[in-house]
Amino acid sequence: MLFSSITFLYYFFPIVLILYFAAPKMLKNAVLLLTSLVFYGWGEPKYVFLMIISIICGYICGLLIEKYKGKAQSKIALIASCIISLGMLGYFKYADFFIDNFNAVTGLSVPLLKLALPIGISFYTFQILSYTVDVYRGSVPAQRNPINLAAYVTMFPQLIAGPIVRYSDVAKQLDERTHSIDKSAEGIKRFVCGLSKKIFIANILGELAGLFLATEQQSVLFCWMYAAAYSLQIYFDFSGYSDMAIGLGKILGFDFMENFNYPYISSSVTEFWRRWHISLGSWFRDYVYIPLGGNRVSKLKWFRNIFIVWMLTGFWHGADWNFIVWGLYFAFFLILEKLYLGKFLSKYKAVGHCYVLLAVMISFVIFGAPDFRLAFECIKGMFGMAGLPIATAETLHYLRSYAVIIVLAVIGATPLPKKLYAMAEKKSAAITAIAEPVAIVVLLLLSTAYLVDGSFNPFLYFRF
Amino acid sequence: MKYSFKNIASVIGAGVIVFGFSLWGLFGSKGDFSESERRVLAKLPEANAETIFSGKFMSDFENYALDHFPMRDTFRGIKSASVLGFFRQKETNGLYIQDGYLAKAETELSDEMLSHAAERFQHIYDTFLKDTDTNVYFSIVPDKHYFLSEESSRLSLDYDRLVSEMKSKTKYMEYIDIFPLLSIEDYYRTDTHWRQENITDVAAAIGSAMGVNPDADYVTLELDKPFYGVYYGQLALPVKADTLYYLNNSTLDECTVTSYNTGLPVEKSVYDMEKAQGRDPYEMFLCGADPLITIENPNAKTDKELVIFRDSFGSSLAPLLVEEYSKITLVDIRYMQSGAIGSFVQFENQDVLFLYSTLILNNSLAMK
Repeated sequence: MLFSSITFLYYFFPIVLILYFAAPKMLKNAVLLLTSLVFYGWGEPKYVFLMIISIICGYICGLLIEKYKGKAQSKIALIASCIISLGMLGYFKYADFFIDNFNAVTGLSVPLLKLALPIGISFYTFQILSYTVDVYRGSVPAQRNPINLAAYVTMFPQLIAGPIVRYSDVAKQLDERTHSIDKSAEGIKRFVCGLSKKIFIANILGELAGLFLATEQQSVLFCWMYAAAYSLQIYFDFSGYSDMAIGLGKILGFDFMENFNYPYISSSVTEFWRRWHISLGSWFRDYVYIPLGGNRVSKLKWFRNIFIVWMLTGFWHGADWNFIVWGLYFAFFLILEKLYLGKFLSKYKAVGHCYVLLAVMISFVIFGAPDFRLAFECIKGMFGMAGLPIATAETLHYLRSYAVIIVLAVIGATPLPKKLYAMAEKKSAAITAIAEPVAIVVLLLLSTAYLVDGSFNPFLYFRF
Repeated sequence: MKYSFKNIASVIGAGVIVFGFSLWGLFGSKGDFSESERRVLAKLPEANAETIFSGKFMSDFENYALDHFPMRDTFRGIKSASVLGFFRQKETNGLYIQDGYLAKAETELSDEMLSHAAERFQHIYDTFLKDTDTNVYFSIVPDKHYFLSEESSRLSLDYDRLVSEMKSKTKYMEYIDIFPLLSIEDYYRTDTHWRQENITDVAAAIGSAMGVNPDADYVTLELDKPFYGVYYGQLALPVKADTLYYLNNSTLDECTVTSYNTGLPVEKSVYDMEKAQGRDPYEMFLCGADPLITIENPNAKTDKELVIFRDSFGSSLAPLLVEEYSKITLVDIRYMQSGAIGSFVQFENQDVLFLYSTLILNNSLAMK
């Protein structure tokens, strides 16, 4: 089920709210678990059982890790947890990728499994892993209440597209959390903001990106428009989803970590990745990069660690070579900045901004292209090396048609709207006190209008 | 204090919308048919183990929830207004308004569709017409976008290529060019179709090319209800309705119209006033969508017969040719197999006209 759907907004969520707030405190997590299972089962009825098995394994391993703390059995339980979780992820997400490449290398024709990818498996696998690893490290005690652990893993606001909520961040909230009008209002505001980002910007820019992929009349300008539109689409899509998740969490009394912090204002790729998909970046930092030795090793090993982490980051996004190349592409820039560019970029911020935007746009062309050939064609086209005209009538038509959205998206990707709102609030709190609820109502109704009218609504991060 | 008011107002405002529409959606009255889109609405799916575990119940319920959302058409209109007005996009769902005309932006010429249409025509020609004394003609009706895109910088399909492709694929037919005779004013503002009262010159040109001279006098009659065309419903914006006029005379009054919609002959009239009061008043012209219909004219100047292979544009044109023919047979191969025509029509020495709009030629998959 998608947040940006009539079924969620007007059928599922009202029922959840009634059940959740009517339930006594001790049953709230059970209500959250049951409704989350319905939420997940709505899109993946068969894979609910797979997720339940993963949770049970995580639960048992967590208890065993704690029980045998300091002993070999504890490590065995941790390894078992990793093997089971990553094994399931590997089987369902990556098996066909490996078979396909094996066939290509050996010339054999081992049949593909052709399994449907369980929604959110990458997210909940990482959450379960963070739980068992944290228990092993002694950062958190094992959760003895299976409902609480299951509620943590399945919690519908963050289940299918993150942010990757760490158990250590919400362990206390699972037992004790506050609900208030202020927090709910904050959550509603955040949810509606995310919904609007998704519906009014991401989906419409997605149409433009789709037009580029479908057209036979490409041009240099259209290549740039595609790169910009897709980069903005993926940001508004994913950050919009994170906003909705954080907002829903607040309504239900939880505080999830921020996942985006205006990444497109970065002046280096290093900074970009501190602002983009923060929960994933910090997960890889804490559970892969640092255990490998981080930067406190020889230079060669340091670079090896960076390449491993970024190859895995790319591979996490999808079982295809373009995702791996996408990850390694960033590893290259990160090392380049650490070796040579870092000081220069911090001195010349304007150059840094241009460099980041260019590097990121090219990266998303690689990320989003159906195949390498198209990605390279587009990149060549951007730099006038594909023999394309500068612009065609079709390009100019689409530029005119999407100009307002592109401008809104560019402005919306900066902190400017937030700053303007803060200034307005400072100047006249009375006006914003009226304007904010009105804006929420208007945006909610307008979002509803778009949902009622359209069926084009897939989440880009749905399958990751 | 003010912040507190803000938060309370936000919660109440969002709550009223979410719970209000939720209850309205659950317990409000539900229709079976969308008048504006002219389609049957989704039904509440049956929930059982099979439909739930296959995911069918969920996907069907999503459609049901969308189709039966309260004030659906109002919301669709709000969306169209924001897309075209606020976001200044050129089209919404492929539709746009220009100079008061609602139109669909046809931008991609489909060679596959043109080939399919041409192949169907060739099949009809080879099967029924090739070794007969029939005279075969072909004419193409431009859609509104042809005129509106010329006046603005809108993207448009290559109409010249469409015509030349179709002409080159149908060399066995004599092409009658009616493009120069038409302008945007000859079409309804809210509908796809042309206005019958404005196409007498088109009928005359087609008749002339076929060797007849349709020049009857008509009384122009006005339909006593506003005409909201198909684009009106699709765009869902509050646009002024069209007025539907139709041309009549004693010849048309005395014609016998027979529909074979059900396979058996059913007597109808040239202008179906029951359909005029229905969902789509344009269907008043020869009863709307009908696979096979005949018009017999007892007062014809000649005993010539005409067979028209057509889409809905032919419904309003055919009455204007009646005076010259003792019988006109209209065949719509979107609703009947072209191979079955021989059971109803004996091709000997009739005039045969293929009359299709660019909309149908470029989306010809329904032609059988």
